[in-house]
Amino acid sequence: MRVAQRRRWLPAVVMVGGAALSLPPLRPLIEQSMVWHMLVQMPLLVLGGWLVAGHWWARQAPALLERFNRFGLTGFIVTTLIAGYWMIPSSIDRAVVMPATDMAKIITLWLCGAALRHSMQRAPLLVQLFFVGYTLPMTVWLGLYYATTDLRLCNAYSLESQFAAGKGLVVLGCAAGAVWLASLWQRQSQTAR
Amino acid sequence: MDKSSSPSLDRTDPAAGLLPTFAACLIALVVGFGFVYSATDRGRAFTTENLRRSEVARQPVSIPDFTVFDASGGKQSLRDLLTHGNRVWIVDFVYTRCQTVCSSLGTIYQQLQSEIVARGLQGRVGLLSISFDPANDRPASLRDYALRMRMHPEAWRIVSLDQTQDRRRLLDTFGIMVVPAPLGEFEHNAALHIIDREARLVRIVDTTEPGAALELALSR
Repeated sequence: MRVAQRRRWLPAVVMVGGAALSLPPLRPLIEQSMVWHMLVQMPLLVLGGWLVAGHWWARQAPALLERFNRFGLTGFIVTTLIAGYWMIPSSIDRAVVMPATDMAKIITLWLCGAALRHSMQRAPLLVQLFFVGYTLPMTVWLGLYYATTDLRLCNAYSLESQFAAGKGLVVLGCAAGAVWLASLWQRQSQTAR
Repeated sequence: MDKSSSPSLDRTDPAAGLLPTFAACLIALVVGFGFVYSATDRGRAFTTENLRRSEVARQPVSIPDFTVFDASGGKQSLRDLLTHGNRVWIVDFVYTRCQTVCSSLGTIYQQLQSEIVARGLQGRVGLLSISFDPANDRPASLRDYALRMRMHPEAWRIVSLDQTQDRRRLLDTFGIMVVPAPLGEFEHNAALHIIDREARLVRIVDTTEPGAALELALSR
Protein backbone atom coordinates (compact mmCIF):
# COMPACT_ATOMS: atom_id res chain seq x y z
CA MET A 1 0.00 0.00 0.00
CA ARG A 2 2.80 2.42 0.93
CA VAL A 3 4.79 1.57 -2.17
CA ALA A 4 1.78 2.25 -4.39
CA GLN A 5 1.19 5.60 -2.65
CA ARG A 6 4.80 6.63 -3.06
CA ARG A 7 4.65 5.62 -6.71
CA ARG A 8 1.71 7.92 -7.21
CA TRP A 9 3.34 11.15 -6.13
CA LEU A 10 6.92 10.46 -7.18
CA PRO A 11 6.34 11.39 -10.86
CA ALA A 12 4.76 14.71 -9.89
CA VAL A 13 7.54 15.48 -7.42
CA VAL A 14 10.25 14.85 -9.99
CA MET A 15 8.42 16.91 -12.61
CA VAL A 16 7.78 19.86 -10.32
CA GLY A 17 11.23 19.56 -8.75
CA GLY A 18 12.83 20.00 -12.14
CA ALA A 19 10.75 23.10 -12.80
CA ALA A 20 11.38 24.47 -9.30
CA LEU A 21 15.07 24.79 -10.11
CA SER A 22 14.12 27.65 -12.42
CA LEU A 23 12.38 29.59 -9.66
CA PRO A 24 13.78 32.09 -7.15
CA PRO A 25 15.05 30.20 -4.15
CA LEU A 26 16.87 27.64 -6.31
CA ARG A 27 17.45 29.59 -9.50
CA PRO A 28 21.00 30.79 -8.66
CA LEU A 29 22.06 27.13 -8.82
CA ILE A 30 21.29 26.85 -12.51
CA GLU A 31 22.38 30.41 -13.26
CA GLN A 32 25.85 29.88 -11.87
CA SER A 33 26.60 26.28 -12.73
CA MET A 34 26.27 24.57 -16.08
CA VAL A 35 26.37 21.24 -14.26
CA TRP A 36 23.21 22.08 -12.32
CA HIS A 37 21.50 23.35 -15.46
CA MET A 38 22.44 20.63 -17.96
CA LEU A 39 23.05 17.62 -15.77
CA VAL A 40 20.57 18.09 -12.94
CA GLN A 41 17.66 20.19 -14.16
CA MET A 42 17.39 18.98 -17.74
CA PRO A 43 17.55 15.25 -16.91
CA LEU A 44 15.10 15.84 -14.02
CA LEU A 45 12.63 17.45 -16.38
CA VAL A 46 12.95 14.61 -18.89
CA LEU A 47 12.66 12.05 -16.11
CA GLY A 48 9.60 13.86 -14.80
CA GLY A 49 7.93 13.63 -18.20
CA TRP A 50 8.94 9.97 -18.46
CA LEU A 51 7.48 9.06 -15.05
CA VAL A 52 4.25 11.04 -15.47
CA ALA A 53 3.67 9.55 -18.92
CA GLY A 54 4.31 6.07 -17.54
CA HIS A 55 1.88 6.75 -14.72
CA TRP A 56 -0.94 8.22 -16.81
CA TRP A 57 -0.56 5.76 -19.66
CA ALA A 58 0.05 2.76 -17.43
CA ARG A 59 -2.84 0.78 -18.79
CA GLN A 60 -3.60 2.20 -22.20
CA ALA A 61 -2.07 5.11 -24.04
CA PRO A 62 -4.54 7.21 -26.04
CA ALA A 63 -5.29 5.47 -29.35
CA LEU A 64 -4.66 8.69 -31.24
CA LEU A 65 -1.03 8.74 -30.13
CA GLU A 66 -0.69 5.14 -31.14
CA ARG A 67 -1.62 5.93 -34.75
CA PHE A 68 1.08 8.54 -35.04
CA ASN A 69 3.78 6.75 -33.13
CA ARG A 70 3.93 3.27 -34.61
CA PHE A 71 7.06 1.47 -33.49
CA GLY A 72 7.95 4.57 -31.50
CA LEU A 73 9.41 6.29 -34.54
CA THR A 74 7.88 9.75 -34.11
CA GLY A 75 8.55 9.83 -30.38
CA PHE A 76 12.23 9.08 -30.87
CA ILE A 77 12.57 11.80 -33.49
CA VAL A 78 10.79 14.31 -31.24
CA THR A 79 12.99 13.33 -28.29
CA THR A 80 16.20 13.72 -30.30
CA LEU A 81 15.17 17.09 -31.73
CA ILE A 82 14.13 18.54 -28.38
CA ALA A 83 17.19 17.28 -26.50
CA GLY A 84 19.44 18.38 -29.34
CA TYR A 85 17.97 21.88 -29.36
CA TRP A 86 18.64 22.36 -25.66
CA MET A 87 22.23 21.26 -26.02
CA ILE A 88 23.01 24.17 -28.35
CA PRO A 89 25.04 26.72 -26.35
CA SER A 90 22.97 29.71 -27.45
CA SER A 91 19.77 27.97 -26.34
CA ILE A 92 21.23 27.36 -22.90
CA ASP A 93 22.23 31.03 -22.66
CA ARG A 94 18.77 32.12 -23.71
CA ALA A 95 17.13 29.90 -21.10
CA VAL A 96 19.28 31.48 -18.39
CA VAL A 97 18.58 35.04 -19.47
CA MET A 98 14.98 34.97 -20.77
CA PRO A 99 12.17 33.59 -18.59
CA ALA A 100 9.97 32.87 -21.62
CA THR A 101 12.65 30.63 -23.10
CA ASP A 102 13.11 28.95 -19.73
CA MET A 103 9.41 28.17 -19.59
CA ALA A 104 9.56 26.76 -23.11
CA LYS A 105 12.53 24.64 -22.05
CA ILE A 106 10.66 23.19 -19.08
CA ILE A 107 7.56 22.33 -21.10
CA THR A 108 9.40 20.87 -24.08
CA LEU A 109 11.67 18.74 -21.89
CA TRP A 110 8.63 17.36 -20.07
CA LEU A 111 7.17 16.49 -23.49
CA CYS A 112 10.51 15.00 -24.46
CA GLY A 113 10.40 12.61 -21.50
CA ALA A 114 6.80 11.67 -22.22
CA ALA A 115 7.56 11.03 -25.90
CA LEU A 116 10.57 8.92 -24.92
CA ARG A 117 8.45 6.80 -22.58
CA HIS A 118 5.74 6.29 -25.16
CA SER A 119 8.26 5.26 -27.78
CA MET A 120 10.30 2.99 -25.55
CA GLN A 121 7.11 1.14 -24.66
CA ARG A 122 6.37 0.21 -28.26
CA ALA A 123 9.62 0.28 -30.21
CA PRO A 124 11.09 -2.98 -31.47
CA LEU A 125 14.68 -3.66 -30.48
CA LEU A 126 16.09 -2.52 -33.81
CA VAL A 127 14.38 0.88 -33.65
CA GLN A 128 15.55 1.34 -30.07
CA LEU A 129 19.06 0.47 -31.16
CA PHE A 130 19.01 3.09 -33.91
CA PHE A 131 17.82 5.73 -31.50
CA VAL A 132 20.19 4.84 -28.68
CA GLY A 133 23.04 4.29 -31.12
CA TYR A 134 22.58 7.82 -32.43
CA THR A 135 21.77 9.92 -29.38
CA LEU A 136 24.16 8.44 -26.84
CA PRO A 137 27.32 8.78 -28.95
CA MET A 138 26.15 12.29 -29.88
CA THR A 139 25.82 13.13 -26.17
CA VAL A 140 29.22 11.68 -25.35
CA TRP A 141 30.85 13.49 -28.28
CA LEU A 142 29.25 16.78 -27.23
CA GLY A 143 30.41 16.20 -23.66
CA LEU A 144 33.96 15.59 -24.82
CA TYR A 145 33.86 18.76 -26.89
CA TYR A 146 32.56 20.83 -23.96
CA ALA A 147 35.23 19.31 -21.71
CA THR A 148 38.19 19.93 -23.99
CA THR A 149 37.62 23.06 -26.07
CA ASP A 150 39.33 26.33 -25.10
CA LEU A 151 36.47 28.31 -26.51
CA ARG A 152 33.93 29.48 -23.95
CA LEU A 153 30.71 28.40 -25.65
CA CYS A 154 28.13 29.86 -23.31
CA ASN A 155 28.33 33.54 -22.44
CA ALA A 156 26.48 32.79 -19.22
CA TYR A 157 28.89 30.22 -17.80
CA SER A 158 32.57 30.15 -16.94
CA LEU A 159 35.01 27.88 -18.71
CA GLU A 160 35.39 25.85 -15.52
CA SER A 161 31.68 25.21 -15.45
CA GLN A 162 31.81 24.18 -19.08
CA PHE A 163 34.58 21.65 -18.45
CA ALA A 164 32.67 20.12 -15.55
CA ALA A 165 29.46 19.96 -17.57
CA GLY A 166 31.29 18.29 -20.43
CA LYS A 167 32.75 15.59 -18.24
CA GLY A 168 29.36 15.08 -16.64
CA LEU A 169 27.71 14.72 -20.04
CA VAL A 170 30.13 11.95 -20.96
CA VAL A 171 29.28 10.15 -17.71
CA LEU A 172 25.56 10.72 -18.26
CA GLY A 173 25.73 9.34 -21.80
CA CYS A 174 27.59 6.23 -20.69
CA ALA A 175 25.27 5.73 -17.72
CA ALA A 176 22.19 6.02 -19.92
CA GLY A 177 23.69 3.44 -22.25
CA ALA A 178 24.35 1.11 -19.34
CA VAL A 179 20.79 1.52 -18.05
CA TRP A 180 19.37 0.72 -21.47
CA LEU A 181 21.56 -2.37 -21.84
CA ALA A 182 20.52 -3.47 -18.37
CA SER A 183 16.85 -3.11 -19.29
CA LEU A 184 17.44 -5.24 -22.41
CA TRP A 185 19.20 -7.88 -20.35
CA GLN A 186 16.38 -7.86 -17.85
CA ARG A 187 13.78 -8.27 -20.60
CA GLN A 188 15.87 -11.01 -22.19
CA SER A 189 16.05 -12.98 -18.97
CA GLN A 190 12.31 -12.48 -18.43
CA THR A 191 11.39 -13.87 -21.86
CA ALA A 192 13.85 -16.71 -21.39
CA ARG A 193 11.86 -17.81 -18.37
CA MET B 1 6.46 -4.93 -23.84
CA ASP B 2 2.97 -3.82 -24.59
CA LYS B 3 2.59 -3.80 -28.35
CA SER B 4 -0.80 -2.20 -28.81
CA SER B 5 -1.65 -1.94 -32.48
CA SER B 6 -4.59 -0.88 -34.64
CA PRO B 7 -6.59 -4.11 -35.03
CA SER B 8 -7.55 -4.58 -38.69
CA LEU B 9 -4.75 -2.82 -40.56
CA ASP B 10 -1.91 -4.99 -39.33
CA ARG B 11 -3.35 -8.25 -40.42
CA THR B 12 -3.66 -7.23 -44.04
CA ASP B 13 -0.81 -4.80 -44.73
CA PRO B 14 1.53 -3.74 -41.90
CA ALA B 15 2.93 -0.84 -43.89
CA ALA B 16 -0.47 0.79 -44.42
CA GLY B 17 -0.75 1.72 -40.79
CA LEU B 18 2.54 3.57 -40.94
CA LEU B 19 1.40 6.53 -43.03
CA PRO B 20 0.21 8.67 -40.11
CA THR B 21 3.46 7.88 -38.32
CA PHE B 22 5.64 8.82 -41.28
CA ALA B 23 3.66 12.00 -41.77
CA ALA B 24 4.12 12.87 -38.10
CA CYS B 25 7.83 12.11 -38.33
CA LEU B 26 8.19 14.36 -41.34
CA ILE B 27 6.32 17.20 -39.67
CA ALA B 28 8.40 16.79 -36.51
CA LEU B 29 11.62 16.93 -38.54
CA VAL B 30 10.56 20.03 -40.46
CA VAL B 31 9.35 21.86 -37.36
CA GLY B 32 12.36 20.79 -35.29
CA PHE B 33 14.93 21.75 -37.90
CA GLY B 34 13.00 24.96 -38.50
CA PHE B 35 13.46 25.94 -34.86
CA VAL B 36 17.15 25.05 -34.92
CA TYR B 37 17.59 26.91 -38.21
CA SER B 38 16.05 30.11 -36.92
CA ALA B 39 17.79 29.92 -33.54
CA THR B 40 21.23 29.50 -35.06
CA ASP B 41 21.10 32.17 -37.79
CA ARG B 42 20.50 29.64 -40.53
CA GLY B 43 22.76 27.01 -39.02
CA ARG B 44 25.81 29.24 -38.81
CA ALA B 45 25.99 30.46 -35.22
CA PHE B 46 25.64 27.98 -32.36
CA THR B 47 27.02 30.22 -29.66
CA THR B 48 25.52 33.44 -28.38
CA GLU B 49 28.80 35.18 -29.18
CA ASN B 50 28.65 34.24 -32.86
CA LEU B 51 24.98 35.22 -33.00
CA ARG B 52 25.80 38.60 -31.51
CA ARG B 53 28.54 39.18 -34.07
CA SER B 54 26.49 38.21 -37.10
CA GLU B 55 23.55 40.29 -35.86
CA VAL B 56 25.69 43.40 -35.54
CA ALA B 57 27.20 42.84 -38.97
CA ARG B 58 23.67 42.79 -40.41
CA GLN B 59 22.22 45.64 -38.40
CA PRO B 60 24.36 48.33 -36.76
CA VAL B 61 23.44 49.22 -33.19
CA SER B 62 23.26 52.81 -32.04
CA ILE B 63 25.20 53.43 -28.84
CA PRO B 64 22.99 55.08 -26.20
CA ASP B 65 24.18 58.17 -24.46
CA PHE B 66 25.87 57.70 -21.10
CA THR B 67 27.91 60.01 -18.95
CA VAL B 68 31.46 58.77 -18.61
CA PHE B 69 34.56 60.06 -16.91
CA ASP B 70 38.15 59.56 -17.96
CA ALA B 71 41.44 59.14 -16.10
CA SER B 72 41.60 62.85 -15.34
CA GLY B 73 38.13 62.78 -13.78
CA GLY B 74 36.61 64.91 -16.53
CA LYS B 75 33.04 63.99 -17.38
CA GLN B 76 31.49 63.94 -20.82
CA SER B 77 28.84 62.20 -22.83
CA LEU B 78 29.93 58.93 -24.43
CA ARG B 79 28.28 59.87 -27.71
CA ASP B 80 30.16 63.20 -27.75
CA LEU B 81 33.41 61.37 -27.13
CA LEU B 82 32.72 58.93 -29.96
CA THR B 83 31.53 61.46 -32.53
CA HIS B 84 34.04 64.22 -31.75
CA GLY B 85 37.04 64.32 -34.04
CA ASN B 86 35.46 62.28 -36.80
CA ARG B 87 37.31 59.08 -35.86
CA VAL B 88 36.37 55.45 -36.01
CA TRP B 89 36.82 53.71 -32.66
CA ILE B 90 37.89 50.23 -31.62
CA VAL B 91 36.27 49.61 -28.23
CA ASP B 92 36.87 46.89 -25.68
CA PHE B 93 35.57 46.29 -22.18
CA VAL B 94 37.90 45.96 -19.24
CA TYR B 95 38.09 46.18 -15.50
CA THR B 96 41.31 47.49 -14.08
CA ARG B 97 41.67 44.90 -11.31
CA CYS B 98 41.96 42.10 -13.87
CA GLN B 99 45.06 39.96 -13.53
CA THR B 100 44.37 37.20 -15.96
CA VAL B 101 42.62 37.25 -19.34
CA CYS B 102 42.64 41.02 -19.65
CA SER B 103 46.42 41.07 -19.82
CA SER B 104 46.24 39.46 -23.24
CA LEU B 105 43.65 42.01 -24.34
CA GLY B 106 45.88 44.76 -22.95
CA THR B 107 48.82 43.44 -24.96
CA ILE B 108 46.71 43.44 -28.11
CA TYR B 109 45.73 47.04 -27.51
CA GLN B 110 49.35 47.99 -26.90
CA GLN B 111 50.25 46.45 -30.24
CA LEU B 112 47.41 48.30 -31.93
CA GLN B 113 48.54 51.50 -30.31
CA SER B 114 52.12 51.10 -31.57
CA GLU B 115 50.82 50.44 -35.05
CA ILE B 116 48.52 53.46 -35.00
CA VAL B 117 51.25 55.75 -33.72
CA ALA B 118 53.85 54.35 -36.13
CA ARG B 119 51.55 54.87 -39.10
CA GLY B 120 50.30 58.25 -37.87
CA LEU B 121 46.67 57.13 -37.82
CA GLN B 122 45.64 58.90 -34.62
CA GLY B 123 43.34 61.21 -36.53
CA ARG B 124 41.46 58.38 -38.16
CA VAL B 125 41.25 55.59 -35.58
CA GLY B 126 40.98 55.72 -31.81
CA LEU B 127 41.24 52.98 -29.19
CA LEU B 128 38.79 53.13 -26.33
CA SER B 129 38.66 50.90 -23.27
CA ILE B 130 35.43 51.10 -21.27
CA SER B 131 35.36 49.80 -17.74
CA PHE B 132 32.40 47.62 -16.85
CA ASP B 133 33.21 47.88 -13.15
CA PRO B 134 32.33 51.52 -12.48
CA ALA B 135 31.93 50.87 -8.77
CA ASN B 136 35.64 50.12 -8.41
CA ASP B 137 37.14 51.86 -11.41
CA ARG B 138 37.21 55.51 -10.36
CA PRO B 139 39.63 58.09 -11.90
CA ALA B 140 42.58 56.97 -9.79
CA SER B 141 42.28 53.34 -10.94
CA LEU B 142 41.93 54.51 -14.53
CA ARG B 143 45.09 56.61 -14.17
CA ASP B 144 47.03 53.63 -12.77
CA TYR B 145 45.77 51.42 -15.56
CA ALA B 146 46.71 54.02 -18.19
CA LEU B 147 50.22 54.23 -16.76
CA ARG B 148 50.58 50.45 -16.53
CA MET B 149 49.45 50.03 -20.13
CA ARG B 150 51.54 52.97 -21.33
CA MET B 151 48.57 54.61 -23.03
CA HIS B 152 49.12 57.57 -25.33
CA PRO B 153 45.96 59.64 -24.81
CA GLU B 154 45.75 60.76 -28.45
CA ALA B 155 45.62 57.10 -29.55
CA TRP B 156 44.15 55.13 -26.63
CA ARG B 157 41.85 56.27 -23.86
CA ILE B 158 40.06 54.64 -20.97
CA VAL B 159 36.71 55.72 -19.51
CA SER B 160 34.34 54.51 -16.84
CA LEU B 161 30.60 54.97 -16.38
CA ASP B 162 29.55 57.82 -14.13
CA GLN B 163 26.27 56.20 -13.06
CA THR B 164 26.58 52.58 -11.89
CA GLN B 165 22.99 51.97 -12.93
CA ASP B 166 23.92 52.60 -16.59
CA ARG B 167 26.12 49.50 -16.52
CA ARG B 168 23.31 47.06 -17.33
CA ARG B 169 22.12 49.03 -20.37
CA LEU B 170 25.66 49.51 -21.66
CA LEU B 171 26.47 45.81 -21.41
CA ASP B 172 23.13 44.87 -22.99
CA THR B 173 23.67 47.25 -25.91
CA PHE B 174 26.99 45.67 -26.69
CA GLY B 175 25.89 42.15 -25.79
CA ILE B 176 28.48 41.62 -23.10
CA MET B 177 27.74 39.09 -20.36
CA VAL B 178 29.82 39.21 -17.20
CA VAL B 179 30.25 36.06 -15.13
CA PRO B 180 31.87 36.22 -11.68
CA ALA B 181 35.03 34.14 -11.42
CA PRO B 182 37.09 33.08 -8.40
CA LEU B 183 39.22 35.61 -6.51
CA GLY B 184 36.91 38.52 -7.31
CA GLU B 185 37.66 38.35 -11.01
CA PHE B 186 35.27 38.34 -13.94
CA GLU B 187 34.90 36.27 -17.07
CA HIS B 188 33.32 38.03 -20.02
CA ASN B 189 33.07 37.64 -23.77
CA ALA B 190 35.92 39.85 -24.93
CA ALA B 191 36.03 41.18 -28.48
CA LEU B 192 37.04 44.21 -30.53
CA HIS B 193 34.02 46.43 -31.22
CA ILE B 194 34.19 48.76 -34.23
CA ILE B 195 32.24 52.01 -33.72
CA ASP B 196 31.74 54.26 -36.73
CA ARG B 197 31.71 58.07 -36.86
CA GLU B 198 28.01 58.20 -36.02
CA ALA B 199 28.52 56.29 -32.77
CA ARG B 200 27.04 53.07 -34.15
CA LEU B 201 28.42 49.63 -33.39
CA VAL B 202 28.99 48.24 -36.87
CA ARG B 203 31.24 45.19 -36.46
CA ILE B 204 32.56 42.89 -33.78
CA VAL B 205 35.95 41.30 -34.46
CA ASP B 206 37.61 38.47 -32.56
CA THR B 207 40.52 39.42 -30.32
CA THR B 208 42.72 37.04 -32.30
CA GLU B 209 42.47 39.34 -35.33
CA PRO B 210 43.51 42.86 -34.29
CA GLY B 211 45.03 43.52 -37.70
CA ALA B 212 41.72 42.81 -39.38
CA ALA B 213 39.96 45.08 -36.90
CA LEU B 214 42.35 47.92 -37.69
CA GLU B 215 41.90 47.51 -41.44
CA LEU B 216 38.13 47.44 -41.00
CA ALA B 217 38.26 50.61 -38.94
CA LEU B 218 40.39 52.34 -41.56
CA SER B 219 38.10 51.35 -44.38
CA ARG B 220 35.01 52.98 -42.80
